Amino acid sequence: MKQDDDDDLVRPFLTKHIPVANNTQRLNGPAIHSYCYRHNPDIKCNKDADQQRMCSIQTSIDKLPSSDQKAISNVWSVFSAAPNSQRILILQGILSQCCFHQLSFLSSEVKELVKIDFIGTLPVELSLKILCYLDCASLCNAAQVSRTWKRLADDDRVWHHLCKQHIDRKCPNCGWGLPLLYMKRARSGKYSSKNHKDDKMKITPVKEEEKGVGEEEEEEEEEEEDHQAKITPVGTDAPVITNVPSDICSSSSKLPSLKRPAPNSSKDLIKPPVAKRPRTRPWKSVYSERYKVERNWRKGIFKIKRFEGHSDGILCLQFNHKILITGSYDCTVKVWDLKTCKVIRTLVGHTRGVKTLVFDDKKVITGSLDGTIMVWNLATGTSLSTYRGHSDGIMSVDMLGKTIVSGSADKTIKIWNVETRTCHTLRGHTDWVNSVKIHGPSKTIISASDDCTIRIWSLENNSCLKVFSGPNGHIGQVQCALPLTIHDTIVEDENSDEETESPENRAAHNDTPRTNNVVASTAIASVENSSNLVNSQINGALPSHILSCGLDNQIKLWDVNSGRCIRTQFGHVEGVWSVSADTFRIVSGSHDKLVKVWDLQSGKCIHTFGGQHKASVSCVKLTDSRFAAGDESGMVKMYCFDDLEDDEVWMGNEPQS
Amino acid sequence: MSEATVTLISSDKQKFQVSKKVAEKSVLIKNLISDMNQDDDDDDEEEMNIPVPNVRAAVLQKVIEWAEHHKDTNFPDVDDEDTRKSTPVDEWDKKFLEVDQEMLYEIILAANYMNIRPLLDAGCKIVAEMIRGKSPDEIRKIFNIDNDFTPEEEAAIKRENEWAEDR
Repeated sequence: MKQDDDDDLVRPFLTKHIPVANNTQRLNGPAIHSYCYRHNPDIKCNKDADQQRMCSIQTSIDKLPSSDQKAISNVWSVFSAAPNSQRILILQGILSQCCFHQLSFLSSEVKELVKIDFIGTLPVELSLKILCYLDCASLCNAAQVSRTWKRLADDDRVWHHLCKQHIDRKCPNCGWGLPLLYMKRARSGKYSSKNHKDDKMKITPVKEEEKGVGEEEEEEEEEEEDHQAKITPVGTDAPVITNVPSDICSSSSKLPSLKRPAPNSSKDLIKPPVAKRPRTRPWKSVYSERYKVERNWRKGIFKIKRFEGHSDGILCLQFNHKILITGSYDCTVKVWDLKTCKVIRTLVGHTRGVKTLVFDDKKVITGSLDGTIMVWNLATGTSLSTYRGHSDGIMSVDMLGKTIVSGSADKTIKIWNVETRTCHTLRGHTDWVNSVKIHGPSKTIISASDDCTIRIWSLENNSCLKVFSGPNGHIGQVQCALPLTIHDTIVEDENSDEETESPENRAAHNDTPRTNNVVASTAIASVENSSNLVNSQINGALPSHILSCGLDNQIKLWDVNSGRCIRTQFGHVEGVWSVSADTFRIVSGSHDKLVKVWDLQSGKCIHTFGGQHKASVSCVKLTDSRFAAGDESGMVKMYCFDDLEDDEVWMGNEPQS
Repeated sequence: MSEATVTLISSDKQKFQVSKKVAEKSVLIKNLISDMNQDDDDDDEEEMNIPVPNVRAAVLQKVIEWAEHHKDTNFPDVDDEDTRKSTPVDEWDKKFLEVDQEMLYEIILAANYMNIRPLLDAGCKIVAEMIRGKSPDEIRKIFNIDNDFTPEEEAAIKRENEWAEDR
């Protein structure tokens, strides 16, 4: 009887609500999802658990007498049929009756039930936004969660973002940076000699580099065009090329005798020859490739290539993705194939040691202790011209466009214009000029001398703009001074300024040209004609820093604007002959036979490579995945931190760590 | 002159009276208000009813609570991607978003719909923090996700992602 009463109550309720409710709870109003998360038939995740739950409920209820079964089932039916507002009401009623242990049961159950697959069910743009907040290791874990997660966590937009954050810059969040890897791009045949650009150690600002690496495809395309444009008119020994795929272009024109490395060329060949669009790679693989190189740098995992052949000490070296060029006391210059470690050709002509060299995709320029500068055709090895004028050995050469700059033991710097055949002499150093570097953007020369100073000169009016010396300066002969433009925060020495200014004073000094002059006064004192006008005109484009090394065993970093030495790096126990740097690192070679790798930002020594060189290290050159060091015994070793391909010649060396 | 107010109406028809300043934390509502004002300048005193049809009352209440708290906060320029990314979640926001996943989910959707950038950023960062540093298994547990890979696939994908494991 009682039962029937209940039925009478339940039935009308069900009839009233079921047609509307349709057995599945719908949220009121036009919600974004018309189903709630839990009952959306498209979402699989909770269903399995629900299935199990239903089964266990079934077995429990089966044990009850049928009248109880019916009563309980009625409760559920009513709840199931009720619209949202009434369900809340029912729950409130039930909750108010619950004992604590039931509430506790609820709270633990609910915690397990209210779980949402955010990434899988949020609108895609929000899921990607969330993923963009993650680091690469977390993203790689996320990609292993489920199919949906994999699709989103591997998405190009997420990894492009990560690449933009890290490549060729230190990420402002995690302090990590990844190499640009020009070399890698070179191997796919799109490289138009970046060697010279690397020389300048141009550290591109964020915006530029977004263009740079960011849109790899686009830039590569530009480079291709650029490359072809350059090749067609020159056509010395290369045929006039029109409409030829870049692969053929680069291999035939740049270095006819060199074959492109096998691994990628096969891939490139698959491409139809007319294909204008370069193949694109997922950004995740772009990232992971650089990540591995960075890890190798960090952990000191590398392979060594050895280049043996000079009969006397190495004085200078330069390399790009395919070739290494070395100059030696044995009066020769050798061009080496990086892959086979064999000599391609030897350039003979100097009568004393070859102290310095630079090269681009067409020519090699060498400077020798015999006092001459020679220009060579890179492709054929023939000497094109000789420049005489210095009265003593050439210590350093650099080039930019039609300009060659040389520093000599005769204490002068000469600027040679190849086209007009004119030559200007810069006087000011009071001892040998050991290093000259052209800084393209500001049209200046940075020089280093045995007189313990570093100078900046204007290429445009041939005047000396600044002298870097003073109480914090080098106390030994300066061997090398490189322009750097650094955007990351640099760790400076404490008390690097002996004038012990307060920070406010210092800032004020830097802001106003008038007082700026005072700070640099010790430095500039000896310079004639250093007008403020010139200074202020050129300041914008000047490099932000200069990196130098000297026979006082020290490596120094100078702030160009203030003229102060802001950091000194100690560690070498004898004179430092050579330094090279990029966005992240400094490598140095010293008379103490050691090569050291330093973190550019902190100035800390990361690795010391001892035992590799049996004589003093005279020259080093760094790229983003390798560095080379040449020593007085005539040995050149290349330390390769890139992906260590097995098909290359490693001279029996195992990867070291 | 008292502070101008508007009335927001949730999807389940609940009304919330808030100051205009608070309501305008939502760019969607800000634009709506300015559109409405353009239509009838002379009728300033008329009460403004703004339906927010995609947000239910409980969520709208949370969103309003957030906006009230941040009434006077000046959020950094939205265009500076780097800064926005590196700014940690505000302590108050972090506490505020200590809610169950359902509420967090709906707050994110509401912030997205109502165009409240700082709240959306905070919500997304909180979710990202739930994922960061977790193993695939832990992530599945946290969000109750089925592993729908075959064992072979799973092994292959694991190998594919191994490079990121140690720094």
